[in-house]
Amino acid sequence: MAALQQKHDWADDDELEETSTELPPPQKITNKDGSTTIIEYRLNDNGQKVKTTRRIRYITHREVVNPRVAERKSWAKFGLSAKDGAGPAPDTTSVGENIIFKPSFNWRQDAKDESKDPNAQAMKDKLKDKKVKCRICNGEHFTARCPYKDTMAPIGEAGAGAGADAAAGAADEAAAASAGAAGAGKKGSYVPPALRGAGAGAAAGERMGGKYGERDDLATLRVTNVSEMAEEQELRDMFERFGRVTRVFLAKDRDTGLAKGFAFISFADRSDAVKACAKMDGFGFRHLILRVEFAKKAA
Amino acid sequence: MRPILLSGHERALTQIKYNRDGDLLFSVSKDQQICVWFAHNGERLGTYHGHQGAIWTIDVDPTSTILASGSADNTIRLWEIKTGRLLKTWDFPTAVKRVEFSEDGSKLLGVTEKRMGHLGTIVVLDIKLDVDAEQSDEKVMTIVCEDSKPTVAGWSYLSKYIIAGHEDGSISQFDGKNGDLLYNIPIHELNQPITDLQWSHDRTYFITASKDKTSKLITAKDLEVLKTYPADTPLNSATITRKKDYVILGGGQAAMDVTTTSARQGKFEARFYHKIFESEIGRVRGHFGPLNTVAADPTGKSYASGGEDGYVRIHHFDKGYYDFMYEVERERQNKLNQQQQQQAATA
Repeated sequence: MAALQQKHDWADDDELEETSTELPPPQKITNKDGSTTIIEYRLNDNGQKVKTTRRIRYITHREVVNPRVAERKSWAKFGLSAKDGAGPAPDTTSVGENIIFKPSFNWRQDAKDESKDPNAQAMKDKLKDKKVKCRICNGEHFTARCPYKDTMAPIGEAGAGAGADAAAGAADEAAAASAGAAGAGKKGSYVPPALRGAGAGAAAGERMGGKYGERDDLATLRVTNVSEMAEEQELRDMFERFGRVTRVFLAKDRDTGLAKGFAFISFADRSDAVKACAKMDGFGFRHLILRVEFAKKAA
Repeated sequence: MRPILLSGHERALTQIKYNRDGDLLFSVSKDQQICVWFAHNGERLGTYHGHQGAIWTIDVDPTSTILASGSADNTIRLWEIKTGRLLKTWDFPTAVKRVEFSEDGSKLLGVTEKRMGHLGTIVVLDIKLDVDAEQSDEKVMTIVCEDSKPTVAGWSYLSKYIIAGHEDGSISQFDGKNGDLLYNIPIHELNQPITDLQWSHDRTYFITASKDKTSKLITAKDLEVLKTYPADTPLNSATITRKKDYVILGGGQAAMDVTTTSARQGKFEARFYHKIFESEIGRVRGHFGPLNTVAADPTGKSYASGGEDGYVRIHHFDKGYYDFMYEVERERQNKLNQQQQQQAATA
């Protein structure tokens, strides 16, 4: 069939397929990795040819079942289900959305993040009763509306001016300070990136690494050449022999769930980590030789 | 985990129950049918028809051949599980709120409602675990509760005691042979009814759920309170899981108050507590109404909950559930493993 097509000019190909109504036979290919590819052709409602390629891997899963349970599985259905075919009937049985349920001691803390809104509301309620107070004359109006605005300095800043002649000087200083202290004071005014560092910018910059940055890398080991089939628990068991393990991270492929081949193990104590590093480097685990070294800080 | 939703009922669920092997799940609701499901995939095996009123309660015998149900049509009925055939009907003057087989399946108790001048009673019937045998009409024993009506009841280990929970929050212990009242202890808050009573696997202790927002673990022999699990909502049901030392509580606001609150505030979640440390370790949400009944798979693989919303949800636990351990539990496990290794080395 393939040879036949090769004789045609590729430009004719399209035409040829449209006219031919017969479908190529389904193909079954056994792949190298043990999976099977099934290619099927069919015509859809518009008379177009549709090719369906499915890749299937059969995994034999052996299970020992209680004989009583096995016998009950063969029972005939009755009552309202008498007419249902084998397998769950779609009108009575459906599958819900995935729920992540992981028991933990501090699940309450995790749940609290969701209830932040009520807290914000509580803060608002607290502020509602606060009175407006002028910083210049302590009157019940905003500072900007104070009748003495032009004649008196705010109460706290009177000392900060610190000089008799500093009317003009103080103003300059204030301007410089406000520019330095990142647009916090004056909203909307442009602050060059170089000057943003002093205020909130610095903190934000440090936080760039995310939560990983906060972790103590001193007692963390990087384990590479880990088998695909490894589980976190196995690693934990292996490394717990040397001391208290605070964290085990095994990188896994999101789709297949197989391990990617490296893991991080954090110890509570650095001396334990040193011991573990020395002992476990070159350790044979699941037909592979582990390589263990201290984790380097991410650059 | 992906819950399996069973939508075979049109009204609120009243009770669900696994059989002893954990492969079948029976559910009853206020509509008039009983459903049986395969627990592993949620496939419905069949339905049992005959009741003329809301069905309050159900129980399955230990060999999974006979099913008993109690209903608001004042009857207890026996069914053949395999075919859905009605085997026997017993009539009572009032509704039946609870049925339970004894440990060996030879006896069945029923709790009847206090109504129309009749006092709440616990009746005991003899059962022949054979679908073709003639069941006797006669009640072996009738316990009349004059003070406070019983809401739930069950058989202790070896059918030695009958334990009943009352509307006033007390628990009674009756002799299983002659029905004498041995103890009556106020365990939950006064006049907060006990809504559920489920047994541990060996029936030496049980868990109660009450409208006073707590659940308690109590011994069958001397009614000693072992553990208390406080919740923030009235509870309708509580169960003890196998394989892991957890308990599951189900509850939520009373059905009549639901329309005035949002789903979030309604607290329609299954709560997991550690059985020994009494601390809450997680919740599973999903129902749109209060949970009326929860049941744990005797094989420890799953649990199911039935809600006022008419759905049953079967949850098969995944790995995180089994892996979770407290630090002390983990240390103990490690120590045991080491000891075993040492023993193996010396032997």
